[in-house]
Amino acid sequence: MAADTASSEISETQMRLFAGVLDAIIPPGEGGAHPGAGEIGLGEILLQKVPELTPVLVQGLAVLREELENRQVADFAALAEDEKHALLEQVGVREPGFLPGLLFHTYANYYQQPRVLEALGLEARPPYPRGYELEAGDLNLLDPVRKRPRLYRRC
Amino acid sequence: MPEETADVVIVGAGAAGAAFAWSLAETRMKIVCLEQGGWMNPAEYPSSRADWELRGFGDFGLSPNARGRPEDYPINDAESPIAISNFNAVGGSTILYAAHFPRFHPSDFRAHTLDGVGDDWPIQYETLEPYYDENARMMGVAGLAGDPAYPPKQVPLPPVPLGKLGETLGRGFNRLGWHWWPSDSAIATVEHAGRAPCVNLGPCLTGCAQGAKGSTDVTYWPEAVRRGVELRTHCRVREITVGENDMADGVIYYDAEGVERRQKAEVVVIACNGVGTPRLLLNSRTAHFPEGIANRSGLVGRNLMFHPYAMVQGVFDEALDGYKGPMGCCIMSQEFYETDPGRDFVRGYSFEITRGMGPVGAAISGMSSGSVPWGPDHHRSYADLFNRTTGMVVICEDLPEPQNRVSLDPELTDSNGIPAPKIHYRLSENSERMLEHGVARGREVLEAAGARETSAQAPLPFAGWHLMGTARMGSDPSRSVVNEWGRSHDVRNLFIIDGSIFVTAGAVNPTNTIQALALFIADQIKQRLDSLFD
Repeated sequence: MAADTASSEISETQMRLFAGVLDAIIPPGEGGAHPGAGEIGLGEILLQKVPELTPVLVQGLAVLREELENRQVADFAALAEDEKHALLEQVGVREPGFLPGLLFHTYANYYQQPRVLEALGLEARPPYPRGYELEAGDLNLLDPVRKRPRLYRRC
Repeated sequence: MPEETADVVIVGAGAAGAAFAWSLAETRMKIVCLEQGGWMNPAEYPSSRADWELRGFGDFGLSPNARGRPEDYPINDAESPIAISNFNAVGGSTILYAAHFPRFHPSDFRAHTLDGVGDDWPIQYETLEPYYDENARMMGVAGLAGDPAYPPKQVPLPPVPLGKLGETLGRGFNRLGWHWWPSDSAIATVEHAGRAPCVNLGPCLTGCAQGAKGSTDVTYWPEAVRRGVELRTHCRVREITVGENDMADGVIYYDAEGVERRQKAEVVVIACNGVGTPRLLLNSRTAHFPEGIANRSGLVGRNLMFHPYAMVQGVFDEALDGYKGPMGCCIMSQEFYETDPGRDFVRGYSFEITRGMGPVGAAISGMSSGSVPWGPDHHRSYADLFNRTTGMVVICEDLPEPQNRVSLDPELTDSNGIPAPKIHYRLSENSERMLEHGVARGREVLEAAGARETSAQAPLPFAGWHLMGTARMGSDPSRSVVNEWGRSHDVRNLFIIDGSIFVTAGAVNPTNTIQALALFIADQIKQRLDSLFD
C-alpha cells in the first residue's frame, strides 16, 4: 500500500482532484442545463457539512492519485467519462468505504443546491412556510365507486 | 416534603394518553401525565430548512436506534424483518405519522367468528362509533362522506386535494372497477380549532411546521392542560409499583435531571404503545408478579402485530407534482380488505396511495435502486424518475401469533439503565401470501393508470409503525391481559389504553382506533367511578 492514511487534512491539489471526482459522479448536463457537482463547489460543502467523510475521502483520493500516476495520467478531469468511471470503480475496489458514502452525500447535497433546484424547474426554497398549490381534483371521478353496493361486512 | 398522591397517573403523552387525559379531565380529578420526551417546537421541524429531506434520515428518522435522540430508548429489533418506528415526545408517534386516519371495519372486531382466525374483540364497531366521531372532531379529520367501504360516518373537514397524482391513480382504479376513495386524514384542510390550514408542504413524516396535521401536541394536549391535567415532560418511568393487595400504588421514574422520583397514584394508566407498554409491565416485577405485573396470563408482550407493508411504485411519462401535498394522504382503496374465500389468504389489506418524493429523496431512492446511476447517464435517468414516480403502500392485516412478541433484552438498556425491549417476530405465511397478492394488484392498478414501469419491495423493512396486540383485551383472564374496558385482570386499578390492547390488527393505520378506544375507556371509568375496582 502506498496511500498515506495518517492525514485527514485535504490539500488544494486534492481539492481540485475532488472537484473532478464530483464532476465525474454528477457531470454537467448537456448544453449546460444542469451544473456538475464539482462545478458548483459541492466539495467544500461536503467537507463542511459531512466532516466524518474527510478521512475516507483523503484515503480514496490518495489511491486515485496513485492509480493516475501508475497510468501516467496527469489530469483526471481530462479523461473521457468512461475512463473516469472505470478509474473510480477501481478506487472503490481498493477502498471499499470510499464510494458508498461519497455517492450518498453527493446525491443528497447536490439536490439541495439552489442552482440545481432551479435547473429542475423548482423554486429554490424549503416547503415551509409558503407551501404549494395543489388542485382539489375532480371528485366526479368517484361516481362509479358511489354506485357500488356496500363493501364492508355487517356483523 | 410529602409526596402528593395523584388520582390518576398516565404514562405516555402520545395518541392514546392525550385523548384519555382530555376526556378524563372533565372529572376534575388530579391527573398527572409522565412523558419521557418533551414538547416539540414546530419552528425546528425540517420543512423550514433547505436540508428538509435529509433530516428524515437523521434526527427526524423513523428508527429510535438510528435517530438516537436523548428521549429515545433503544429497541433490539435485529431479529425482526420489520424494524420499529416510533417517536418520543408530547404527541408521541403522531409527531411523525402520516395522519392517514381510517377507521377499522365492523368485521375487524369479529375475525374469529367470521373467518376463524385470531379472536373476537370483546367490543364491537358500534361500541367505538361515537368515540370515532368524537375523535374526528378533536383531531380534525378531513375526508368525504359516502364511502361504500364503511358504514355511514361523520367527516368534519373537506378532503385533502387529489392533485394530478390522485386523479391519475383514481382513473386507474376506475379502469379496473376497483374501489378507491379520498383518504380520511387528520389534517386540517381548512382552519380548524385554531389550527392553520394545510398548505401542502409535503413532508408530514418529519413533523408539520404549519400545525395543520393532527398530532396530539396541537389537538388534545392544549385542551387537556387547560382542563387541569399536569403534563410532566422528560420523565421516564422505570416501573409501576404494586402493593401487597395487588393494587398499583404509583410509578417510579427518572426526571429530566436523571433523579429517581416516585409518583403515587390511585389509578395507573399505561399508554406507551405496543412495545413500550409490555416493556414497562415486564420491567415491573414483584413477589406476586415475578413475570411482570398484570401478566398472570403470560400474554404480556405476546401476539405482537405489525402491519406488514409492501411498497409498489410506478414511473409515469407525465409530471405528477408528487412532492406537493400530504405525503401519506391522498386516496386509498379497500377493494381487497374483506376476506374472499377465493384467495389463498384470510383477511385482507388496504392500498394507501402515497405521493411522490422530493428532489433529494428521488435521488437517493434512485441511487439505492440503481435506476439513477452516477456518471454520464445521471441527468437523463434522474429526469425520468423525479416528479414522475408515485405509488402506494399495501397495508396487510397481521394475525396474532404468540411467538411474535416483545421481551426484555438481557443486556441492552436505555440511558437510565432500564432494560430495553427486544422484538421477536417472523412473517406468517398468510402475510407473505397477502403481500404477494397486494404487490401484484398494485402493479396492475399502476399500469392501468399509465405507469410505464413498476417496482416493488415487500416487506418494507423500516415500516414497524403500528405496534399492537401485546396486552390484549378480552373477557377471559387466562386469554387476555385487560378486560373489555381496559382494566387489568390482575391489578384492578391498572388500565392499558394503547395499541397493546388490540385483539386483531385490521388492515388500516391504527391511530384513530387507538384514540377511540382511549376515549371509550375514559368514559367507562367516568361511568364506573363508584365501583371502579370491584
